[in-house]
Amino acid sequence: MTKLVEFTRTRRSGLSRYIWILWIAALGAAIVFPFVVDRPRFWLPNIGVRSLWLGIIAMSLVFLNRYIGLLSLAQATIAGISAYGVGYMMVTRGQGFFVAVPVGILAGTLAGFLVALIAARTKAIYFLMITLALGQVFYSYASQAIEVTNARRGLAPIIKPNLGFIDLGTITSFYYFALALAVICYLLCRFVAATTFGLALQGIRDSPERMSALGYKINRYRIAAITFAAFIASIGGVVLVFDRAQVDPNVVSLGSTLDILVVAVIGGIGSLGGVFIGAIIVTMLDNFAQDFTDRYMTLTGIVFIIVLLFAPAGIGGIGKQARRVIDRRRKDTTPAVMESPQQEPSAALPTDEAITKGKQQ
Amino acid sequence: MAGTHSALRVLDVSKSFGGVRAIRNVSLEIAAGERISVIGTNGAGKSTLFNAVAGVFAVTSGTIELFGETVTKLSTATRAKRGLARTFQTSRLFEQLTAADNVFIALGGNEYTGGLLRLARRNPQRWASVERLLDRVGLEGRGRQQVADLSHGEQRQLELAMALALQPKLLMLDEPAAGFSPAERGKLITLLRELPQEITLLLIEHDMDIALAVASRVIVMHDGEKILEGTPDQIRNSERVREIYLGGSIDHAA
Repeated sequence: MTKLVEFTRTRRSGLSRYIWILWIAALGAAIVFPFVVDRPRFWLPNIGVRSLWLGIIAMSLVFLNRYIGLLSLAQATIAGISAYGVGYMMVTRGQGFFVAVPVGILAGTLAGFLVALIAARTKAIYFLMITLALGQVFYSYASQAIEVTNARRGLAPIIKPNLGFIDLGTITSFYYFALALAVICYLLCRFVAATTFGLALQGIRDSPERMSALGYKINRYRIAAITFAAFIASIGGVVLVFDRAQVDPNVVSLGSTLDILVVAVIGGIGSLGGVFIGAIIVTMLDNFAQDFTDRYMTLTGIVFIIVLLFAPAGIGGIGKQARRVIDRRRKDTTPAVMESPQQEPSAALPTDEAITKGKQQ
Repeated sequence: MAGTHSALRVLDVSKSFGGVRAIRNVSLEIAAGERISVIGTNGAGKSTLFNAVAGVFAVTSGTIELFGETVTKLSTATRAKRGLARTFQTSRLFEQLTAADNVFIALGGNEYTGGLLRLARRNPQRWASVERLLDRVGLEGRGRQQVADLSHGEQRQLELAMALALQPKLLMLDEPAAGFSPAERGKLITLLRELPQEITLLLIEHDMDIALAVASRVIVMHDGEKILEGTPDQIRNSERVREIYLGGSIDHAA
């Protein structure tokens, strides 16, 4: 029995045992954020809420990359479809929040399921290209379907409603609304990853052939995972649409797709929580870089390259990177671990892991 | 060897890759509980035969029956559900996970719907099985190691634990001793001999010592064909086998 407890409890080792302190601190900072910034009217929507929905959508991408090893470029599109669902119900159909939001999330999730049916059999670069292509298909649909999407002009206005118990119309309460959804999405992803299902997904990521030989129908698992990620992205889409107060083809453009990818890579393509750091960095650059340079896109690009060079696992992966280095130092100095000398390092190239492992597939 | 008691029946199976005929008209039958080794030099078609039985690819012609049922067109996963477990020649482990996680996932191949959305760590029974399997293959106390930190030998042991996790009726091992030290070979032989009698074993092995020590019947493959079949003693004393292993086969090439 003792051994059993060991299995389950010591999976997290060293520094990562204390990572929850970091999380509490980050959450605390996010909660007091509206009260410490000098101009809440600027900070809350432009940095706060925007980082949150960018983070939620990027998190769905990171979930897929980390747990099934597939890089999906359809996440921005799926969030956009959810946003369009909300917009259509509210603007065209005149429905309220409690009808529009479930419809939006359902539409996005369903779109993700359809993407999964088409793309789940492919891997690596092919998966990436298919998801990208499907995103572009929807983009051109959204730009033209006047009756549904109102083409280039989009659907507006989408007004943040007063729900009685909370008035989403005030910037502070809308920020908390977005924050709550982000936390729920994060916990949901963590939960799914820790289930038996999540473990099986990781098995598929590492060796699909083996999983088939073990009797797993791997396509069903992939489809389920992609659909789940679409659900998360759809929630991001809901926050997005109320934040922007409108939805137009720009939301599902290639540029938006790239924004999500940049956020994910800067935050850490293997780190679910790290995406929010990535999102904050990107929104800050977006808002402030213009003040001192015209070439703020170039600046974003430079930051992107620096991250790839020095922390390929992203900002969220720095902790892991540091731990590996420390662990290795310790291994070198402690004679106790020398029992099995043949198991030396080459196997553990920590930093490339997150990205290459994901793409290898 | 009545049909109902055979674990595996391969009838006239051929497989071509492009123009290359990797195996030609191979037939064999394995009774339930039998221990069979397939030997042969590199390129003899052992692995092709093995993968054909496991369902990795479709065969060009012929029929494969598992436990009396034709499975020629069924997927790998379905064959696994019918009771076939295999190991891989080059490790295909879940590298980013611990050894215990690997076995935990392997155990899930059997139970399909049960508790997929339950937290993996809240499943004490399954972890207890994981522990038993790790102990059985000699990986006591190594469960928490990441696969990447296991030695080559330990990874092979883990392969075996994962195959056994399926509680297979037919266990197929693809060169389980590749890269083993002599001491590890000895341990593997003991382990294989201790397998419950009801498990049918099909072993593909380069290494004659292991192949002959474990099997009750040995099949020799050469150039994509089955050329010989016999008891370990017959094979050991066969002129033909010695020729193939030591000097190649001049007569056959013509």
